[in-house]
Amino acid sequence: MNPEEALKTKFNEVLDLKPEEIVLDQPIGEAHDVDSTELVEISVGLKKDYGFQLSDNDLKKTHTFNDIVEILKTKGAT
Amino acid sequence: MNKIAISGLGVVSPSGIDKRKFWANIKSGQSAVEKIERFDASRYTSRIAGHVRELDAYSNVSSRLLKKIDLFSHMALVASELAINDAGLDLSKENLERAGIFMGNAIGGWLYGETELRDLYIEGREGVSPFMASAWFPAAPQGQVSIRYGLKGYSKTIVADRASSLMAIAYAARNLNRDKNDFIIAGGMEAPVTPYALLCCQTSGVLTQQNDTPQTAYRPYDKNRDGFAIAEGAGIVIMESPERAAQRGAEVYANVIGFGTTTDGVDRIEPAEDGVQLARAITIALDNAGLKPTDIDYICLDGAATRIGDITETRAIRSVFNGHSDQLICSAPKSIYGNLLGATGAVDVITTVLAMQNDTVPPTINLNEPDPECDLNYCANTAQSREINNALVINRGRGGINCVLVLQKAG
Repeated sequence: MNPEEALKTKFNEVLDLKPEEIVLDQPIGEAHDVDSTELVEISVGLKKDYGFQLSDNDLKKTHTFNDIVEILKTKGAT
Repeated sequence: MNKIAISGLGVVSPSGIDKRKFWANIKSGQSAVEKIERFDASRYTSRIAGHVRELDAYSNVSSRLLKKIDLFSHMALVASELAINDAGLDLSKENLERAGIFMGNAIGGWLYGETELRDLYIEGREGVSPFMASAWFPAAPQGQVSIRYGLKGYSKTIVADRASSLMAIAYAARNLNRDKNDFIIAGGMEAPVTPYALLCCQTSGVLTQQNDTPQTAYRPYDKNRDGFAIAEGAGIVIMESPERAAQRGAEVYANVIGFGTTTDGVDRIEPAEDGVQLARAITIALDNAGLKPTDIDYICLDGAATRIGDITETRAIRSVFNGHSDQLICSAPKSIYGNLLGATGAVDVITTVLAMQNDTVPPTINLNEPDPECDLNYCANTAQSREINNALVINRGRGGINCVLVLQKAG
């Protein structure tokens, strides 16, 4: 699964957001009211998919969905 | 103390959700205790409980939030919504910095806690949901209700075993007397139908083992009783000054007019043999309310269905009420749906308020052969018509925690 699809799956599992409901270019804290425990849950799920841990800096409420996809790509997610 | 009005009721119980359904089932005396099927309870000595049904039909909690909270918080949110709506509260017109939440439970969110602890030991640290941090602890329901409605006033969570929510309501009344809040959402919640919570109750030796006959197993004051059946649920009431309730045109069900608390201090599980401290709690409550024993019409009993619990409760009532004991009518309606542990007091208060409103005493069911040492009028098996102007609610926790609340009919 490519990083965009993987992240959409996590957003669906943790935040109950359908792919079409995800705002791609707004900070996720603002767009989806994501809290810190939800970020950890998303991070743990991505680690299971890709085998690497996202740091607190990688996954922040101020990041957009697209920002996180780019971070995943730079870490080698394909 | 000054009267504090109860102006809204919200109940989530094995005998039904919402006051109408609940009262109809309580009045009928139809048992709601069933075999536990949520998990394999076959190796437990007590395998029956009161379960809440149809919670989802009454809930508008999002599936996103449900992943982050335990069942006890979910039930508290549903009961709070029912109570707020029942009271006709328009929160957009309230000063939310003066809105309080006083809640009680005995064990916290163990359904969530147990699952995650199991994962911790099997999968390691990363197997544990981050939601665990805010899901399991006893103050979680208070926090969830606060977040949902934006309530920011003085609030507390009380943990005092089976007296938790009665104390929460009592301390809410005291706080309103001190003018620290405009109104308070008060009550309790408990979700003990889980493997670990059931085990803890079982090892305390207070649960019935009459598993083949769930509906007749919980039989307080009967000589064949052997303990209570656990139950899950929540009871929430809206409390405010009678003047404030009148100003906003709200119906007042009843008033809290006094309370008393004491502790036995003799054993970590059992109450004291003499019932002296429970009697003292009753006396303190009556004094606090400015009533005499002869003013009391009805007592909603603790009804532990253990030998020492039933006998010492009866003994304490006899010692305070003397000759008036035989005019009193008492009952333990929780024999119908099970003992909600920390939430039991709040549901007892709601039951008593509805009993006052309907001029009907709900029954103690399964009372066929009274213990000779339990010689009060327990309203056995069938509801009775009776005007109730003043009532007591008694709750007792393990180790001899005693709490007594005095309620007075409104009007």
